[in-house]
Amino acid sequence: MTKITTENYVAEARKAIKNQVLQRALADLQNRFGRGTAECYRQLPEGPDLRLKAHEIRMKTIENLDVVLETLAANILKNGGHVFFAKDSRAAVDYCLEVARRHQVRRVVKGKSMVSEEIDLNAALMDAGIEVSETDLGEYIIQLAGETPSHIIAPAIHKTRNDVGSLFAAKLDIPYEDDPPKLTWIARKALRQKFLAADMGTSGCNIACAETGHITTVSNEGNIRMSTTLPKVHMAFMGMERVAARLEDHDILLRLLCRGAAAQNMATYVSYIGGPRQADQVDGPQEFHLVILDNGRSRILADAEFREMLCCIRCAACLNVCPVYAKIGGHSYGYAYTGPVGAVVTPLLVGINRAKDLCLGETLCGACQEACAVNIDLPRMLLALRAKLAEGDPAWGVKPADRKEKLLWQAWSMMIRKRTVYDFVLRLAALVQKLMPQRDGMIRRLPPPVSGWTQGRDLRPLAKESFIQRWRKGF
Amino acid sequence: MSNEQPVTLFIQCIVDTHYPAVAEAMVRVLRRLGISLTCPGDQTCCGQPAFNSGYRRQARTAAQHFIEVFENSEIIVCPSGSCVNMVRHHYAELFQNDSQWLARARNLARRTYEFSEYLVDVLRVEALGARFDGRVTYHDSCHLLRGIGVRQQPRTLLQHVSGMDFIEMRDSDYCCGFGGTFSVKYPDISDAMVTDKAKNIMATKADAVVGCDMGCLMNIRGKLSRLGSDIKVMHLAQILAC
Amino acid sequence: MGTANQKEFINRIKMALGKPFAESRQKADLFNSEMSAESRAILEHIKNRNAAERKKLLETLIEAAGPINLQVISCDDISAVTGAIAGLVRAKDPEWGDQKSVVAWAHPLVERLNLPAALSEQKVPMFVTGSKSTADEDLRQQVIDAYIGITSADFCMADTATLVMRARPGQARSVSLVPAIHIAVIKLDQIIADLKELFALLKWDPHERREGLTNCLTFVSGPSKTADIEATMVHGAHGPREVHLFVISA
Repeated sequence: MTKITTENYVAEARKAIKNQVLQRALADLQNRFGRGTAECYRQLPEGPDLRLKAHEIRMKTIENLDVVLETLAANILKNGGHVFFAKDSRAAVDYCLEVARRHQVRRVVKGKSMVSEEIDLNAALMDAGIEVSETDLGEYIIQLAGETPSHIIAPAIHKTRNDVGSLFAAKLDIPYEDDPPKLTWIARKALRQKFLAADMGTSGCNIACAETGHITTVSNEGNIRMSTTLPKVHMAFMGMERVAARLEDHDILLRLLCRGAAAQNMATYVSYIGGPRQADQVDGPQEFHLVILDNGRSRILADAEFREMLCCIRCAACLNVCPVYAKIGGHSYGYAYTGPVGAVVTPLLVGINRAKDLCLGETLCGACQEACAVNIDLPRMLLALRAKLAEGDPAWGVKPADRKEKLLWQAWSMMIRKRTVYDFVLRLAALVQKLMPQRDGMIRRLPPPVSGWTQGRDLRPLAKESFIQRWRKGF
Repeated sequence: MSNEQPVTLFIQCIVDTHYPAVAEAMVRVLRRLGISLTCPGDQTCCGQPAFNSGYRRQARTAAQHFIEVFENSEIIVCPSGSCVNMVRHHYAELFQNDSQWLARARNLARRTYEFSEYLVDVLRVEALGARFDGRVTYHDSCHLLRGIGVRQQPRTLLQHVSGMDFIEMRDSDYCCGFGGTFSVKYPDISDAMVTDKAKNIMATKADAVVGCDMGCLMNIRGKLSRLGSDIKVMHLAQILAC
Repeated sequence: MGTANQKEFINRIKMALGKPFAESRQKADLFNSEMSAESRAILEHIKNRNAAERKKLLETLIEAAGPINLQVISCDDISAVTGAIAGLVRAKDPEWGDQKSVVAWAHPLVERLNLPAALSEQKVPMFVTGSKSTADEDLRQQVIDAYIGITSADFCMADTATLVMRARPGQARSVSLVPAIHIAVIKLDQIIADLKELFALLKWDPHERREGLTNCLTFVSGPSKTADIEATMVHGAHGPREVHLFVISA
């Protein structure tokens, strides 16, 4: 299991905010992709509302997931592939290791996949003495640096060209170079050797097609095609929800995926892979395995409030517009999934209490839903998660997060029921506020638990008289 | 003005307690249009702070109080998109398992409007004869924009103010980082967000930044004050009352 | 072990969906086994496309190719293509090492180019990933050594300038992937409008559906690219750095 560090949200966020390089990179990313994606949606012949249609398609699939997955599996078997249904990370990883052992795999090339991050495939393979090479350029940089990705689509945005130059010089034993085309070529050369030498290639799956029995892979670099074409074994990992029933569904979903992910009309490479090389074909892997992962997804499926989250196709469009992500970056989220999607899906996968800051640490601004390729109501689910944290929920094993806070809200609810009580509390507060240091009519410092406000801001004091009081006097 | 339907004022709690001048400006604008106004003295808070923090039981108490206070009003107008969003969209969620309250909440939601929305979409008023000499920029509040879909109405009203030089700021639709209790619970993040907002406002060299929600504006004002900027922070009603 | 796992896994999903509901559903709702009126209309539209409409599609293709740096060259006849490819072979330098060699699909259209003869004067060998007479390992090495790979395609989607290639004997997937430069040759009537047309053809056209998607259906839209270092766009991350598409009008 990947190290889960959701508890460090606040500390990591603070660190990220102070990192000027990261701040510039995040701003640039949002400027480019956030706005680009919105423009792409506007230019769709069907307009941005195509996302609503995509939502319907996704929901219908999710609500028939048992039938859809059985169809997918049957068709892949028919085409000579293998399908393994993995209940959890352990099962998925063990299956992969077992196949690797059978083929005496020594080197694996890895096409980017969120699920393999989720199950921490790299660590398991390396523990088994297998060399694992990330092949997406961003992921490769991250792997060389011994870090974790900070963005689903742009994993190395927190690195500058100088960082990459120094890293390559140190790890690849070459002279320092900081020109992006040259750095790209250096990685191209190094990874070409990895592709040619690998015994096994792994990939994720963007959206499988059940009726034809194919997984899809999408990339701009070509690393996933390399990983799934050259090695003798191809193993694909997919979250159990990443499937569509019909080929027709792929028209809408693929178009929205490419737009959401990188503001493109079409990624450079899209492959529909349905099995190993046939007897009369000259290349392609000799074995094809698909691992379908549950790992807590069936629990999400069972809860009507969160089922919608399984519509997600991991395009990361929500990251590119989220004003919180823009400040705190991916590492703060403490798990494979970052940004608004991470804020909802991570608590559901790793535990709501444990990831409480992910549920609470947003402003509910709604930009994520507007950007979502399949129009998932992420703010609604953030609110639902907060309700669980407030009251507790045995079904999800949630304990009330803060009993003192709950008492405060209880007191508040008594106060707002009666204007006379409300006015009395206002008068008290007006007295207390006289103790606060002020300048130019603004409060400069507040005491806990509201001291956070004045950490970087001033506060307008309470008015001498509320509007309602003035109205009563005949305004 | 032919529309003589009386309006009931729904005063956002922040306006009521910190910014009564905003409510007064709204009153002046509406009276100028010949609208008769009432303002229930029992109103307190719509319940949004509790709802957004997950305390739905407490939010329900607030919502019930709100419904009882406003139920007999024909038209309810509020100087905050966020509060209107709460009444219009989230009350239904709060009462999803209580058909009686749900019906009452829905009935009320249909008659509740945000100030600029009410002027432009209901009264069909765009020019109010206001004058403001200076450069003005506008901040889109999240719940106003994405919650109840109000983007153009405030801009239309501003463009009819004489003497004004209107300028769009960069990322006007980016959240200012207020987020209710978020601003106190996650001050580092909130501060980083409002710092960006303040920079974008200052870059316009505007004399005033205008918005339709005092939650955001209190946050923005607090930051500008701390940065020593003298850019005025004004609710739309205050400009229109000039 | 697979089937037991599967049963347990699917049962968990059924439970999550609510069992009575799960069992009452009809499979037919999900997978349309009859061609819809919309699909029929799309197929009709493709079949009845006239010359002017085809030209229009070519224009759309060229327009879409620009921003993704796909070079589209429209040629009136096949000899012009042969000449242009020979020119490319002469002009371009190999990326790895200094030996020039070319690898190509065994494909009727590629064969008609008569490239081995055209390249012989430059003394550049051309290997064909055709017969199984060459051992797979040797074939693999020929692809790795080549700096130019030449293929055709099943279709080209004009809307996004996307080549669509199915996996077939003699038509190695790696030819469009491993060499530094990919050259594709198609005929004008292979251009279709978009994904909708493609999927309608693959699923419902009586001729195309026999083959279906094959075990590997690949879309290629221009050269390989990355923007992973400071968001700077660079071509040739892992796949070809250049893609040239020849469209034969005649």
